[in-house]
Amino acid sequence: MPAGRRTAGLLLAAGLVVLGAGATGLALTRHPDVPRAAALVVLPAPTGSIEAVVPQGAAQVAEPVSLVIPSIGVSTSLVHLGLNSNGTLQVPPTTTVAGWYTGSPRPGAIGSAVIAGHIDSVAGPGVFFRLSQLQVGARVYVRRADRSLAVFAVTSVRSYAKDHFPTADVYGAVPDAELRLITCGGTFDYSTRSYLSNTVVFAKEVS
Amino acid sequence: MRFSRLARRIILLAALPLLLFAIPAATAATAAAASAATTTGWIRLAHLSPNTPAVDVYLYSFDDSSAQIVLHHVAYGTVSPYEQVPTGDYTVAMRAAGAAATSAPVLSASVDVVAGHAYTVAGLGPESGLRLQVLDDQLSTPPGKALVRIIQASLKQSVVSVKWGGDVLNGSLKFGSVSSYQTVSPGTATLTVSGGGDTSTTSVPLAAGTVHTLVVLDGANGLQIDNLLDAAGSGLEPAGAAATGFGGMAPRAPSSPLPWLAAIGAGLLLTAAGGLRLRRVSAVRSASAVRPVSAGRR
Repeated sequence: MPAGRRTAGLLLAAGLVVLGAGATGLALTRHPDVPRAAALVVLPAPTGSIEAVVPQGAAQVAEPVSLVIPSIGVSTSLVHLGLNSNGTLQVPPTTTVAGWYTGSPRPGAIGSAVIAGHIDSVAGPGVFFRLSQLQVGARVYVRRADRSLAVFAVTSVRSYAKDHFPTADVYGAVPDAELRLITCGGTFDYSTRSYLSNTVVFAKEVS
Repeated sequence: MRFSRLARRIILLAALPLLLFAIPAATAATAAAASAATTTGWIRLAHLSPNTPAVDVYLYSFDDSSAQIVLHHVAYGTVSPYEQVPTGDYTVAMRAAGAAATSAPVLSASVDVVAGHAYTVAGLGPESGLRLQVLDDQLSTPPGKALVRIIQASLKQSVVSVKWGGDVLNGSLKFGSVSSYQTVSPGTATLTVSGGGDTSTTSVPLAAGTVHTLVVLDGANGLQIDNLLDAAGSGLEPAGAAATGFGGMAPRAPSSPLPWLAAIGAGLLLTAAGGLRLRRVSAVRSASAVRPVSAGRR
């Protein structure tokens, strides 16, 4: 009988411990785990005189070489991007640099210039990690190969599902000097290892 | 008794695999699309009447008496850059250069600016028959092509023909008229404009994804062509979206609750088993404790 009582007591105690552990674990694991990035470092505006907004064709504008977005801490050189064999936009080979699509107008020439960058790598933030945090009116600076500086002001920040990407809105012709900054956003689909949306920032040249 | 012991053993055995049970959680959701809705359009102003003196051009938003844009001393051949304006109704008024802003305009026209659209408001024709014409400007090109149209503003050559390389853009375009847009394959070619005995040639590149307006003018030395770049986009548009992310900063969904629920279930089973056993043990003890005292006291 004492043995029976002891066994019963052990079972009871074990049961309560397991029950308690289960309930605690369930309560603690209900929130999504959001990785944290390092704190934002706002940058100073680039120095140099800013070119006047004068309608120009592509031939009169030098190629872009670097991009600075002070309010979200972006300072990057610009690589050249083309198209993949399947017609999709090439993306920069590393996550720390952005790229200008050479099939689009040059930033500062009439038209919609396209610059793309990664939001993150497999392990941490990428060059365009904070792109979606840009405010309307924020300044975007593009330095060109002839050292001239063009500045743009953000006009809108949009999110598009990748399977409904509005090609005409983003890549179509416009009659003034504009910029589109593209990165990924929205939900990350772990089964396909890709984001389901693109964030596109629209900006136009200002003096 | 035997049955309940067996039952307890079964319960204990069942609790064990539940403790080890784990299923990875997976989520998939599509992000909602927010489509861009523009609320602005573009307007530009042009003086294309050869024998009309310079003018001041005013742009008024409908019902607003103070002008949104004023261009002073706009001479023949001038086409202003596009101004981005909110959608809505506008009035364009032309006055003689230097005339008071309150004086009656020489000409006026109204424009309804639709979101995402562009317009050229041009003074066309001879001075005696001057009119303000509102042109709808194209902004999108067929994929990989260029679009080009011609405004014939030469009074000296009343009819011109325009060729670009081998393409005849317009065989006979009358003074003061605007051709329709032509789609051309991109490239650089010689543009030839001829009328009467006069011919003018110039090398003109027309890139993919661009829209051009060629303006034929009476220049100092005969026919002159202005090549206006109206709009430009990607010559070759990328297909679909951009793969610019690897997920390192994506929120990880909460893990599956199932292993924790399994642990709770196992804990309940163990507790129940222990409680049942305790009750049975106690019942047996109290049963033996209340055994009637044996007779032996007589």
